[in-house]
Amino acid sequence: MSSLGSSFSSLKGLLQKGKKKQVPFSDLFIWFQDILEKNNAALAIIADMDGKTGGDFIFDKKYLSDNVKKLAELVRRNAYNLNYITDNRYPELYGVIEGIIKKLEADLSGKITASEVPKIYFLDKIEDGMEDVVGCKAYNISRIMALSEVGIPDGFVVTIGGFRDYLAYNNLFEAIDTALEKCKNEPEAIESISNGLRLKLLGGEIPPSLRRHLLAAGEQLCGARQDRCRLAVRSSGIGEDGSLSFAGIHDSLLNVQFHELLSSYKKVLASLYSKAALEYRLKMDILSLEMAMPVLYQKMVKSRVSGVLFTLDPNDPDRDESILSAGSGIGEAVGGDSEVDTFRVLRNHPYTVVNQQVGSKTHSPASEEPDVSPMKDPCLTHDEIAAIMDTGLLLERFFKVPMDIEWGIDEDGQLWILQARQLNIPASALAQHTQQKNVADGYPVIFRNRGMVAYRGIGAGPVYIVKDEQDLGKFPKGGVLVSQFSPPWLARAIPRASAVITDIGSVTGHMATVAREFRIPTIVGAQIATQLLEAGRKITVDTEKNIVYEGIVQELIRYKLLEKPSFETTPEFQILRRLLKKIAPLYLTNPDAPNFTPKGCRTLHDVMRFIHEKAFQSLVKSGKNSRSFIKRGGKRLKTDMPIDLVLIDIGGGLAKTAKEEVCVDPEDITSIPMKAIWKGLSSPGTWSTEPVPVDMKGFMSSMTRTQGTEIMGNALPNVNLAVLGADYVNLSMPLGYHFTTVIASIGSSPQNNNISFRFAGGVTDITRRSRRASLIAKILEVIGFKVEITGDLVIASSVNLMEENMARQLFVIGKLIGFTRQLDVLLKNDEDIDYYFNKFMEQIDNPANPQ
Amino acid sequence: MAKTTICILDDEAIVGNRLKPELEDEGYEVETFTDSMTALKRVDETCFDIFITDLKMEGIDGMAFLERVKDRCPKSEVIVITGYATMETARESLTKGAYDFIAKPFRIEEIKTAVAKAKKRRENPS
Repeated sequence: MSSLGSSFSSLKGLLQKGKKKQVPFSDLFIWFQDILEKNNAALAIIADMDGKTGGDFIFDKKYLSDNVKKLAELVRRNAYNLNYITDNRYPELYGVIEGIIKKLEADLSGKITASEVPKIYFLDKIEDGMEDVVGCKAYNISRIMALSEVGIPDGFVVTIGGFRDYLAYNNLFEAIDTALEKCKNEPEAIESISNGLRLKLLGGEIPPSLRRHLLAAGEQLCGARQDRCRLAVRSSGIGEDGSLSFAGIHDSLLNVQFHELLSSYKKVLASLYSKAALEYRLKMDILSLEMAMPVLYQKMVKSRVSGVLFTLDPNDPDRDESILSAGSGIGEAVGGDSEVDTFRVLRNHPYTVVNQQVGSKTHSPASEEPDVSPMKDPCLTHDEIAAIMDTGLLLERFFKVPMDIEWGIDEDGQLWILQARQLNIPASALAQHTQQKNVADGYPVIFRNRGMVAYRGIGAGPVYIVKDEQDLGKFPKGGVLVSQFSPPWLARAIPRASAVITDIGSVTGHMATVAREFRIPTIVGAQIATQLLEAGRKITVDTEKNIVYEGIVQELIRYKLLEKPSFETTPEFQILRRLLKKIAPLYLTNPDAPNFTPKGCRTLHDVMRFIHEKAFQSLVKSGKNSRSFIKRGGKRLKTDMPIDLVLIDIGGGLAKTAKEEVCVDPEDITSIPMKAIWKGLSSPGTWSTEPVPVDMKGFMSSMTRTQGTEIMGNALPNVNLAVLGADYVNLSMPLGYHFTTVIASIGSSPQNNNISFRFAGGVTDITRRSRRASLIAKILEVIGFKVEITGDLVIASSVNLMEENMARQLFVIGKLIGFTRQLDVLLKNDEDIDYYFNKFMEQIDNPANPQ
Repeated sequence: MAKTTICILDDEAIVGNRLKPELEDEGYEVETFTDSMTALKRVDETCFDIFITDLKMEGIDGMAFLERVKDRCPKSEVIVITGYATMETARESLTKGAYDFIAKPFRIEEIKTAVAKAKKRRENPS
C-alpha cells in the first residue's frame, strides 16, 4: 500500500504543478461516470464487508487487508478525479483520505489509533464505534444504555488518550515494551516482571492536564456533596471485545471517595500488568497487541436491597433455572454477614420461583405442603424478581453467554445494573454438559434452510408479527420478531427481540445491519415465515443451522450459551468491526450542512459521498438555465405534465435515436432509475388539477421566502435537471419553493443499489414546513426508507434492495414530488398529516408494501 | 463405524479455529494445522479421509501439498480453499486431483456441503 501511496502523491504533485485548465463539458461526463463507477464499486465492497459481520462466513486477514487496499485505491482515484475536474479545488481531501487509511492499516496490524481523543468521556456521551477509545466495559455499558430500560449508574471514563498521556509523561513506553518482550521469552519470570511493571505504574505522576480533567469530571459526577460521594472505579480494557473474558483479572475499587480520585486511577492502571493479566495475554497469544487501559468511574448506588443474579446455575447448567440472591443493604454485592435470601427461578416468563431460601429457611412455594414454622418475608417481591430476570436475560441474549450480574434496587424501587460479566461455569459441570451435541434432535422443525442468515445465533420466544409501525410499541421483551418485510423502522424493536425472521429482505440492508449490531439471531428472506408462524406461538430460532423449531428448546439455548466463545471473539472479527466503523457509516448526509467539507469526512463513505456531490455540482454548475444546458447537449423532456425538465445523458441514460433532437420523449429514457421516477411523476393523480386554496397566512409567509436554490444554498442551477446514466440518476428539482434531490443507482446487482433523497425548503412558516417534513418522512418510512428529519429538511436513504423493489420506491418518490407541491399550504394542523398521508397512500397500489 | 477424519491446513489460524467446531458438530474428527511442514509430517503417520487446504502459504504451498497428499494418500479427497481464486488456479488444482475448489471467504454451509459430498464419494467411489 505504501508504494501505491507514493506513486499517488507524485500524481498529486503533477496535478498541483499543472496549469489552470478547463475540462470540456463532454469530457466531464466521462470523468463523472468514472467517479460513479468507482463510487459504486466501493459501496459494493462496503456492503460485502458488512455482510461478513453476521458470522455466517469464514474470512481471514487477507480478506480484510485486500478489501482495505481496494477501497483505498478507489477512494484515492476518485479524489484525484474530482480534483482533476475542479482544477484541484479540494487538495485537502488527500490528507483526509490518507488519515483514514492510516487508521485502517493500524487496525489491520492490531494497533489502536486514538491519538487526539478527549481524555474523558461521560458514559452517555460515548458514541458508536468508540470502543477503542473508551475500552470495552465502558463501551458495552453505553451499549446497554442504548438497550433502554436498563438502569446504569452515571459515570465517566478516562480514555486511552489519558492512559497514553500517563505513560508518556512518566516515560514508561519503553520499559513496558522491554518487559513484555521478556514475558514472551521467559514466561517463568512473569511474576517478577509483573511486580516491576506495577511498581513503575503506581510510582508515576498523573500529568497536570489529565489531573485537571479528572478532578473536573469527578466534581461534575459527584455534584455538591463531594464528601458523601462514593464511586466504583474499574478497568475498561481494550481488546476485550465481547468484553467479558478479562473479568476479574483487572482491579475494581469500591467506595472510592472523592479525595481518592487520583490515586485510584493509578491503582487500576497498575492492574493492567498484574500477573493474572499477563498470563492471560500470554496464553491467548495477544501479548503483542497493544495494551491499554481506559478507566471507568461510576457513582455507587444506595441500594435498599442488592444482590447477584446467575442467569444459569453454574454447578448444574442443564437445569433451566437462574439463581438470584438478595440481601438488604447498600453493599455492592451481598456481604458475608448479612442475611441472604436465595431464589431458584425458572428462566421463562412468568419466572416462577421453584425454591426459595429466606434467611436460613428453605421453602418451596411450588409445593402445596403447609409450612408450619413462621417465616419472615423475603426481601424481594415477585414483581422485583421478574424485573431482575427480564433484565438479566436481556443481557444474556446481548452478550451470548451466561451472565453473572450484580444489581441493586434503590429506595425508589429503581433497578440498577452495577456490574455484568460472564458467569464462570466450572469445568466439571461443563464437561458433563458439552457431551450432548445434537441437543435439538427430536424437536419438531417448523421450517429449515429458508432465506439468508444475517446473524448467527440461537433465540427463542413467542412469535410477534409486526405489520406496521404501531405494532412496534407493543413488542414484548424477548419476543421473536416476525415480519413480511425488512423496513429500516423495524430496527427499533430489534434490541428487545430474541430473534428476527422476515419473509423479504437483504442481508446488507439497514435492518440486518442493526440486528448484527445488537447481536440478534436473524434470518431475512425466509419467504414463508408470516404464513407458517402465528402470533404467540413459542418457537426457537437456530440461525447457525438455519432451523426454526416448535417450542422453546431450552437444551439448545443452554448448549449455545455454554459453548466455546462465538465467532465474535476472533481477532479477525474484531478487526472487521473496527475497520467498518471507519469505513461504512455515512455522517455527511446533507450537502448544505457546514460540515460538508473534506475535513468533515469521518469515514471513507463520507469521502465518497463528498466527492460524488462535488463532482455533480461541478458538472451542473456550468449551466445557469435550461437553455444553457440544452446548448451543451441537454435535452428537454416533452410532456403534458406541468414540469420543465432537462435531461443530461452521461452515457446510456437516453435512447440513441434521441441524439440529434433538442427534445426527447419519455419513451426515450433508458436510465433504469429515471424511468421509475418518471413513471411516478407522470402517473394519474400525481399533479392534482384542483386549485390549491391559499390562505392569507400561508400566502404572506410565501412572500418572504426565496426560491428553492437559495433555500438549499448549494449553488445548483435553478433548473429541474436530471443527469442520467444507464443505472444512475441524479435529479435536482427546485420545484416552486422547495428543493428535492434524488440520487439513485439501480441495476441487477443489489449490492450496487442505493437511493438517497433530500427535501427542503418551501413556502409558509416553519411549523407548516415541519409538518410537511413529518408527512414526507412518514410516507418514505412506510415504503422502506431510513429517514432523518432536521427541522424542515428530510434526508432519506435506502440500500441494497432488489431492482424491482428500489424501482418501486422511486415510483413512489416520483408521485411524492408532485404531491409535495400542493402541501405547502394544506397542512394547517397536525391532524392534517394523517389525513394527507392516507390520501397519498390510497394512490399507491399496495400501501402495506414497504419494499 | 469410525468417524471420517479431516485435516485442515491454512496458515491463517482463524480458518481452522472456526471450521473445527463446526465440522465436529457434524460428527467429523478434525485436526488443524497452520504450517504445511507439520501437516505433512502428520500425513506421513496417517492418511486423513478428507483434506481442506489453502493454496498460498509459506514453505510448501497448497499446490505442492495437494500433490504430496494425492501421492501419499490416493484415496483421500482434497478440497482447496483460496483467497486467490482464479480460473487458472482452479483448473490446476482440479487437474492435480483436488475434489473441490472454494473461494475465500466462504459460507460455513459451503464447506459442510463440499465435505459431505467428498465423504460420500470416498464411501462410494464411482
